[in-house]
Amino acid sequence: MKRLFLLLFAVILLTSCANKSMTRYETLAPTLEKEGFEATIAEVKKEKDDLYGSNSEFLYYYDLGILHHYNRNFDESIKNLAQAEKIYEDLYTKSVTNEAAAVLTNDNTRPYRARPFELLTLYQYQILNYLAKMDIDGALVEVKRSQIAMNALYQKDKDKVNDNGYLRYLQALVYELDGDNDEAAIAYVKAIKAYDEGKMGLPKEFFEFATESLRRAEREDEIRALKKPELAATPKATAVHEQGQEIIVLGYAGHSPILGEMYLSGTFVSAGAMNLYYKDGETGRQMSFTLVAPPVPGAGSGTFHIGFALPEVRKYKSRVNQFEVSLDGKTRIKPEKVMDVDQELRQNMDDERNTVITRTAVRVILRTIAAQKAKEATNTGNGIFDLLKNIAVDVGQTQLEQADLRVGLFLPNSFHMTRIPVEPGSHDVNVAAIGPHGETVGVYKFDRIAVRKGQKVLLIVPAIK
Amino acid sequence: MSKILTLCLCASLAALMGCSGGKKVTRIDENSVTDLSGAWNDTDSRLVADEMITDCLNRPWYQTMIQQKNGIVPTVVIGKIRNKSHEHINVETFVKDMERALINSGKADFVANAEERAELRNELASQAGNATEETRKDAGQEIGADLMLTGTLNSIVDQEGGEQVIYYQVDLELTDIQSHRKVWVGDKKIKKFVSKDSVKM
Repeated sequence: MKRLFLLLFAVILLTSCANKSMTRYETLAPTLEKEGFEATIAEVKKEKDDLYGSNSEFLYYYDLGILHHYNRNFDESIKNLAQAEKIYEDLYTKSVTNEAAAVLTNDNTRPYRARPFELLTLYQYQILNYLAKMDIDGALVEVKRSQIAMNALYQKDKDKVNDNGYLRYLQALVYELDGDNDEAAIAYVKAIKAYDEGKMGLPKEFFEFATESLRRAEREDEIRALKKPELAATPKATAVHEQGQEIIVLGYAGHSPILGEMYLSGTFVSAGAMNLYYKDGETGRQMSFTLVAPPVPGAGSGTFHIGFALPEVRKYKSRVNQFEVSLDGKTRIKPEKVMDVDQELRQNMDDERNTVITRTAVRVILRTIAAQKAKEATNTGNGIFDLLKNIAVDVGQTQLEQADLRVGLFLPNSFHMTRIPVEPGSHDVNVAAIGPHGETVGVYKFDRIAVRKGQKVLLIVPAIK
Repeated sequence: MSKILTLCLCASLAALMGCSGGKKVTRIDENSVTDLSGAWNDTDSRLVADEMITDCLNRPWYQTMIQQKNGIVPTVVIGKIRNKSHEHINVETFVKDMERALINSGKADFVANAEERAELRNELASQAGNATEETRKDAGQEIGADLMLTGTLNSIVDQEGGEQVIYYQVDLELTDIQSHRKVWVGDKKIKKFVSKDSVKM
């Protein structure tokens, strides 16, 4: 009887294990919405162990760094993002113990290693932190660090999308600020290539600045080589270059998507084929696909019925999706979208899909074999007890299977940017955050912004709603 | 049996106490070479400053200038040293190392840089209205520097998997403030190989 209670207790314990990623989102999203950045920072720090834990240390510092950036506490943002970067670098060395634990349980037991776009946005925020502090040398250091990181990502897996047009654009901007026009031109060319590689398309204003830079560096032929249309005139970029000073408005619109669980089921034949079925979250249709199944030791040649959970993108209904900027009550400009986080996450999920499915399927098979053997070895001959014990083992096994839903929580849905040439002096800038139906969700006022001769002033609008 | 159990318990407790982690601090010689992450560190800063200043003051331009100034040592001011590397390097520490090497050489006089001069002038202005006549320092008595030392710190990183070669290059220039003639150009290179294991237990 005692054993039965212990067994039931274990079952209850196992069923009560909620996915930490979901809890993190459910706890922090309302705080951000109702109480703002300061309160969310306090909450993240207070609930560090419960919401993040040691396996998600990267995310803890990454989330904090981003929140501090929105809160204009650039020094703290730099400190936290640098710590996240250090954790990422240290995680190059994989722990055999952690990987083995992940085979027995689930991917959440592995330390979170950051998705490529998260790492690249880390450098974007760092560059912007230094620019906001008017520290060009600091921004330049981050530009170089980001280039090293991109090379490492490319070496690791050259078939995946490891580049980012917006990061390349920021690199070009920093080189321009430093007066290094050749490096700026190279960064612009790479930005065009990166935008082409992604699905977002080439932002118009960006392309105008790229064309201007390449013309001045006498590298216009590179635009032709990239099969891009030649612009007859680049008035805005020319004005910025000739006047020297500008106001750069950077808007963070909406909230990045989160990850939810998608359940897949099907059959697995070791060293044969894996047929899987799932319900598409967006269309509701039943989908199926087949993958090559790797050999699993001890699986024999029999067919296994498998079921497991995988992460899927859940779009967040953002209340802001664009901006409108007015300068000194006159000019009205719509900053253009320079990065789409929703698309970056989807691209990353597509890139990772087969690897994650194969790893998860192998894990489920191994666990099924182990559970089968454990059930046989612990049979007592007592019909009811053995039945309950076997149910408990199956329930426990199912509960262990959790999709890895970890992802940065505070990225915007999209980044928007515009560069406005201005005369030296004082300027009033109003930025309206606009919703999906054209409604104004919020207004950000920047009164009497002082712009000195040749200065580039960065205004950050964090409409993470 | 209970004795064995008690012994086991004591042994386990002792082992646990012995395994307790925590911070351990050991004092080490300030001149010792310590490479932990492979990043630019105090050893690099000190060695580069010492070697480059020694090289600078032992070149032919020095004797020429001493002769021109009738045996008076030249006065140097340190200008902008830019960090163009891939690491956030505290340039101030490097500049201080160079100032120290310059002063300790005894071969050059050294005046405060622009930032420090501004602070000193503020102090002078404050003294003018507040200090006693006997202790008050006069304006317009500063020593003008003959030469300005400027430079850049660059790096190149080559990597493949867990292996990385980091190459630092420090370029310094000494320029005659009067004629804008460059009297000395020097560089110092440092190459480091950093490797990381791909797996651990």
